[in-house]
Amino acid sequence: MTTQAAPLVSQQRAPLSGLWTALRIFWLGVSRNRAGFIGFLGIVFYIIVVIFGPIVVPFDNEVKLDEIAAPPGTRIQLMTRSENVNTYTTLESLNGKVVGVIGNTGGPKLVEPYEDTFEVEEYRWQAGRGIDRALEELMDGDIDALVIFSQTVKDYIDEPEQAGNQNLYTNLAISNPALGPAHLLGTDTQGRDIFSHIMNGGASLIFTALLAGLFSTIIAFSLGAFAALIGGVVDRTLTAIANFVLVIPRFPLLVVLAAFVQLNNFILLATLIALLSWPSLMRAVRSQVLSLRERDYVEAAVALDLGRWHIMTREILPNMISFVAINLIFAVTGAMYEQVGLIFLGMAPINDYNWGVMLYFGRSRGTLFNPDSAMMVLAPVLAIAFFQVSMVMFARALEEIFNPRLRSSL
Amino acid sequence: MTTPILEFENVSRSFKKGRTTIIPVLQNIDLAVNPLEFLCLVGESGCGKTTTGKILAGLLAPSDGRVLFEGQDVAKLKGEDYKRYRRSVQIIHQDPYASLNPTHSIYNILSYPLFRHGYVKNYAQARDRVGELLQRVDLTPVGDVIDKYPHQLSGGQRQRVSIARALTTNPSIIVADEAVSMVDVSIRISILNMLMAMQNDLAVTLVFITHDLALAKYFAWKGRIAVMYLGRVVEIGRTPEITENPQHPYTKVLLSAIPEPDPDRTRTKVHVALRSEDIPRLTELPPGCAFHPRCPWFVEGVCNTHIPQLAPVPRNLGDSDVACIPLTQGAELKLYES
Amino acid sequence: MATRSSPVSSASSIEISLLDRILDRWQKINSNYVVRTIIQALITVWAVITFTFFLIRLMPGNPIQVYVAQLMNAESITYEEAYGRAAAQFRFDFNASPVEQYFDYLGNLLRLDLGDSIISVGTPVISQIMRFLPWTLFSAGLGLLVSFVTGFVLGMLMAYYRNSPLDHILSFISSLMSAVPNYIWGLMIMVVFGVQLQWFSVGDLRGTYDPRLTPAFTPEFIFDIFKHALLPVITYVLGTVGSWMLSTKSSTVSVLGEDYVNVAEARGLSERRILTAYVGRNAALPLFTLLAISIGFVIGGSVLIESLFVYNGLGNFLFQSITGRDYTSMQGVFLFITFSVVLSNLLADLLYARLDPRIRVSGEK
Repeated sequence: MTTQAAPLVSQQRAPLSGLWTALRIFWLGVSRNRAGFIGFLGIVFYIIVVIFGPIVVPFDNEVKLDEIAAPPGTRIQLMTRSENVNTYTTLESLNGKVVGVIGNTGGPKLVEPYEDTFEVEEYRWQAGRGIDRALEELMDGDIDALVIFSQTVKDYIDEPEQAGNQNLYTNLAISNPALGPAHLLGTDTQGRDIFSHIMNGGASLIFTALLAGLFSTIIAFSLGAFAALIGGVVDRTLTAIANFVLVIPRFPLLVVLAAFVQLNNFILLATLIALLSWPSLMRAVRSQVLSLRERDYVEAAVALDLGRWHIMTREILPNMISFVAINLIFAVTGAMYEQVGLIFLGMAPINDYNWGVMLYFGRSRGTLFNPDSAMMVLAPVLAIAFFQVSMVMFARALEEIFNPRLRSSL
Repeated sequence: MTTPILEFENVSRSFKKGRTTIIPVLQNIDLAVNPLEFLCLVGESGCGKTTTGKILAGLLAPSDGRVLFEGQDVAKLKGEDYKRYRRSVQIIHQDPYASLNPTHSIYNILSYPLFRHGYVKNYAQARDRVGELLQRVDLTPVGDVIDKYPHQLSGGQRQRVSIARALTTNPSIIVADEAVSMVDVSIRISILNMLMAMQNDLAVTLVFITHDLALAKYFAWKGRIAVMYLGRVVEIGRTPEITENPQHPYTKVLLSAIPEPDPDRTRTKVHVALRSEDIPRLTELPPGCAFHPRCPWFVEGVCNTHIPQLAPVPRNLGDSDVACIPLTQGAELKLYES
Repeated sequence: MATRSSPVSSASSIEISLLDRILDRWQKINSNYVVRTIIQALITVWAVITFTFFLIRLMPGNPIQVYVAQLMNAESITYEEAYGRAAAQFRFDFNASPVEQYFDYLGNLLRLDLGDSIISVGTPVISQIMRFLPWTLFSAGLGLLVSFVTGFVLGMLMAYYRNSPLDHILSFISSLMSAVPNYIWGLMIMVVFGVQLQWFSVGDLRGTYDPRLTPAFTPEFIFDIFKHALLPVITYVLGTVGSWMLSTKSSTVSVLGEDYVNVAEARGLSERRILTAYVGRNAALPLFTLLAISIGFVIGGSVLIESLFVYNGLGNFLFQSITGRDYTSMQGVFLFITFSVVLSNLLADLLYARLDPRIRVSGEK
């Protein structure tokens, strides 16, 4: 009977209109919000890296002494006895000689693959703390030359008094970019390409953080909604538990628990993080549900007999989606903080190579303090920092986009 | 005599505040809503008129007493009978900004109930029916509105959507809870007229809840007005009777508060002198008649000891039912006038 | 619940049950805000203590068993001897029943006896804590203070000049700062300014003060203390100042919209007076609860920061005891950190109550 048939029947996109409009609003909002747009791009970038990174740049796990690394441009230092100065200028000139090598980890194992490279008579491994002894051996003629590659070490040997704290000589990272393929970010203490580690080292971290964030959000959401809908003793008990867990300092507890439980399984780690991080969101969900179920439109739906399922999924849930999405993102960044923190301290699994493990090695192997090997620490630091920043920027943009007052202007 | 479409039998409702405080919001209400009538519930805020509306609409159960739908106890309805009752009674909320879910388009809001109860079978039917409903509430051209979201509409438009939603289930009775109090004054009359037209065209019984006696007078001229005070109905009768010849002292107070367009009339109007301006709290209701601490007709030993029941006033006075012992028992009373 | 299809809230159970009466009596005692807050804090502390008791003693493969096995292996002594030594260090009587052990444990804690350190044999854990605590209080406290003050001032500025370029820039910066984990800030400072630019010597700044100096109230020593605390403090500030700015901004903006501020403006009060007496005070109120939460966060985060900079505070001590499997110290420090967090929450709640007349009068939050 309608007379306005024309505008009424725009049938093509209407069944999808809810989703369509939501996507349109989302896109308009994101493209208008500069910070949010950057965050969004960042997240897309991370997704691409996590999925395609390992395919494009395979994980470099080959130990290469001659590419032991620092940023491009670091020089090889050859230390020889004074009478042989200027004799050994390249690695090739070491053929047939007994050569001492200085590095701080890996020992002879590191040298083995290269024993044939230059037909060196013998490599003698000197651990980092052995510089003094290596120099003695050099002077005594036990070895013909000592190969070191680091500016820091050179400083120490040139001017031991002025080179500063003695701890620094544990920080050997050695590099000769000229000998290997170009390394965008240099190589690590074992000559492995840092860029390949960055490309491959995000997946497990991000996956664990997402899992932990998801678990925590699910726990928070179900307990919060449950407490709000059931009320009474259940509500009081759950709220009391939430208040209790909220007060316990989370990170120290995780660290202590890590001393008891072997956190060698990322699902376990994610679960543990989730179990400690749900309370604040649970309280927020609880009050949201409490306020939403009192809304007039919920009452109208009851009067229209639309059914319990409709009311939960169509009337209450859609009004919490943005709220939950935003909190999910914050839960993921929180989980990332705790996870990387644990790995950095050496309390969580290091059998899997990721950005956190790079930080751990960067510190435990001392590259942190070596000016020539900054990338080994800086690269994962920046990868983690930009991930967190993208997520937070995106979440803050979502907060603005899903604000109905702002939405009406679209 | 026809069966009332909805009837309250001695309905009371209380709420708990904290653990041990009980607030008696409604007490022993008997009320019958007859088919196709206008019934206005009038009272100040806190008198229980919204609670009455919610119990009428089946959104709240009485703590005591029975609600009858076409003569059957609502609490005992089951299956199809219950569903029919549920669909037959609808509510229009006060706040048009809170009563529509912001995440749904107007089409969705109106089509959910249509699909749910099988009034339409497919998308095309739903579009047509929604269009019809929107025209019914004067939201035209339909195409401008149907795919919009509530936040894109004005308050008056939203209230019309809210009314259209109440009509989706072809209800036989609609409870309008302060339905126009948050709408711009300029739009009020058109919405009220629309509601009145609806009653004629769709055979709907309307229960109109308002704090504004002037509005009730305009709206329910052919219907009845029930005046509530602190959880009880104090006077009920046909609108002309209540507004021209109020019997209960509280009704007189309310009427005297209406400003008249004619200044002479306002000046010469009877002003009832209350003994106290303070409205007692629901948690500390005075014994006897709840109005007695303020009532100019207060009779010691009667009003503060006995709870008045609704009863017809003597025929020489008027034609309404009031809850006032001195009045219904024919005592000689003199109104304190100022 | 509102979602059932039958009439809603059929809460016809309006009768008052006996349970309600008992709970009501309890609520009357509890209605005093101060009393209630203190009782809640005590219950929390008790629950954490009990939890730790079960974790350390009763869990399968618990630290005591592990430690006994270690002792037997390392020093080839009998099970009984090893068990005896463990019992002495952990302060428990292994002949006693679990219930008695539990009460002994509570009693010891009341006397602040947290057992002996396993690594530093013969040193009570509590004296270790007392040795390291001042440094954490000093550095974390200083960091929190600087960050709170800076964040509050900048946040007020953002709110006052909202939607100006200044606000946008500061908003962006604060989001950025609050997003990056604090230890990542620490690492960046160290690598960029310490190692690359060599503005300071990372090695020299380890520890809480130069070991060549003797602790005394000399200007030199005090300067040295501040010098050593500098990196942790900067890291704390970078990690928290962003969220202070954002929360101050949002609470200030909401206060700026209040009628009493408009009225004050209309009355022609000076801007400075409005900002301090009307806006600042009311905007600061909600931040006190946040302050309590962030105290916990800062102390929790001190494990990472202090171990990164090798700053000998409580956090680094916790890290050292965990890597060294020093279970008694671990337990002691964890309990101590938890107590301080509960205590700071409690103090903040009480302070909030004192400052906000609504709570002071009605006892409700």
